[in-house]
Amino acid sequence: MHHKEKHAFEPKIIAFVCTWCTYAGADLAGTSRMQYPANVRVLKFPCTGRIDPVFILKAFQQGADGVLVSGCHPGDCHYIAGNFHARRRFAAFRKLLEFVGVDLGRLQFSWVSAAEGGKWVEMVTDLTERVRGMGPMREFKELGLEEQWSGAIDTPELREAYDSI
Amino acid sequence: MTNTIDTSIYAAVTEAIQGEVRRILSEGSVSAVVGYAAARRKGSAQPIVITDAARAEELVFSAACVNNLAVYLTKAKKEIPKTGKIGIVVKGCDLKALVGLMGESQLKREDLYLIGVPCAGVLASTAQPSQELTGDTIAPKCRECDARLPAGCDFVPDQRPVSIELAGKYSAEIARLEAMTPAERWAYWKEQFKKCIKCYACRQVCPFCFCEQCLCDRNKPQMVETTPRPAGNTAWHIVRAMHLAGRCAGCAECERVCPMDIPLNLLNRKMAKELKELYDYEAGFEVREKGPLAMYDEKDDQSFIK
Repeated sequence: MHHKEKHAFEPKIIAFVCTWCTYAGADLAGTSRMQYPANVRVLKFPCTGRIDPVFILKAFQQGADGVLVSGCHPGDCHYIAGNFHARRRFAAFRKLLEFVGVDLGRLQFSWVSAAEGGKWVEMVTDLTERVRGMGPMREFKELGLEEQWSGAIDTPELREAYDSI
Repeated sequence: MTNTIDTSIYAAVTEAIQGEVRRILSEGSVSAVVGYAAARRKGSAQPIVITDAARAEELVFSAACVNNLAVYLTKAKKEIPKTGKIGIVVKGCDLKALVGLMGESQLKREDLYLIGVPCAGVLASTAQPSQELTGDTIAPKCRECDARLPAGCDFVPDQRPVSIELAGKYSAEIARLEAMTPAERWAYWKEQFKKCIKCYACRQVCPFCFCEQCLCDRNKPQMVETTPRPAGNTAWHIVRAMHLAGRCAGCAECERVCPMDIPLNLLNRKMAKELKELYDYEAGFEVREKGPLAMYDEKDDQSFIK
């Protein structure tokens, strides 16, 4: 029996997945009636090679607390090499995000095949639990909130008003 | 001052460039030359295009010749009709940008006549054009330059720059930031990106920003907000650094033209450093068909992927 628990903070996890492997893997998890946290929102792409780093940025800006990018194992790509290209791109993008000050614990890359429903469940559960421990992703949200103010939000009065929202 | 940098070769270099340009223009082997000429302010220089051999004596090279002229040859300027071979005066850093553009099929080597400049360094954007070149006034990119003598050019004057030993500013700053916690780095970049006014000068001056439609200008869907406000600014600079990863030649023009003094080249140098470590790739004088992010190796590191 799956044990349901109430948490004070429910992280939003966005998963960018490839349609050929991970999406099918997640589907298998579902048809096999495996339980995993409902915090994940799945976005389906033709290939991990189609997943632009800007999508990850956009997800964080729109309120994601964690991002999962998942596709086919090396050698299994439907388009031969899409995941190999993605691998290099994300290796570089991780370094850039880290340098700008994003905690990489919020960003997970994985290979999940169509047969690995169990691995998908494990991936989502791990990331959800880790991000829950880290708390909400404040950085990008704060940037967005700062746009609501015409001036700096560094004064105590504004800070108080801002925190009460 | 003790840390004066020897720029005595620049007079002879100027003369050699003038002689060569006079020769190639009068011979007709090139139709135009992009170079530097003295500008109105004392000691300053500006880009110039010369098509007449008689005007070759207007060309100069000095520590005030800071521009990367490669930007005048990118695809964005393709509406300008090609009238034959184009000559161009290039410093080492500028040549790396041209070489990168050739690798990306934006330019053909046979359409160019490269006039390489032995370069002892140029002035920082904060210095006055008439100032002497010293350890304090030299551009930060020149402190770590490994390209003082361009290779593979059609013509390089005989002069040799005196090698200088200066502590690297970018490497020191990158090391300082890397030692911080993610939260401290975020605070640092937030302050920097907050200043951005979205003038896009960094994009306009960059030889590698030649897309006919920039992703950041598109609004269907809008991936990067266009307003000069914190969220859009941060996304813009991250996207630009990502798009330049493995391509940037390090000419630091983005940083020079930035009216808000955002240390943009720091991001680009960091990415160059990472790609060197990950895929042993560096911008250089050799034309390569593909950059590191346009190819792959089955044995690439995937320790970060579960």
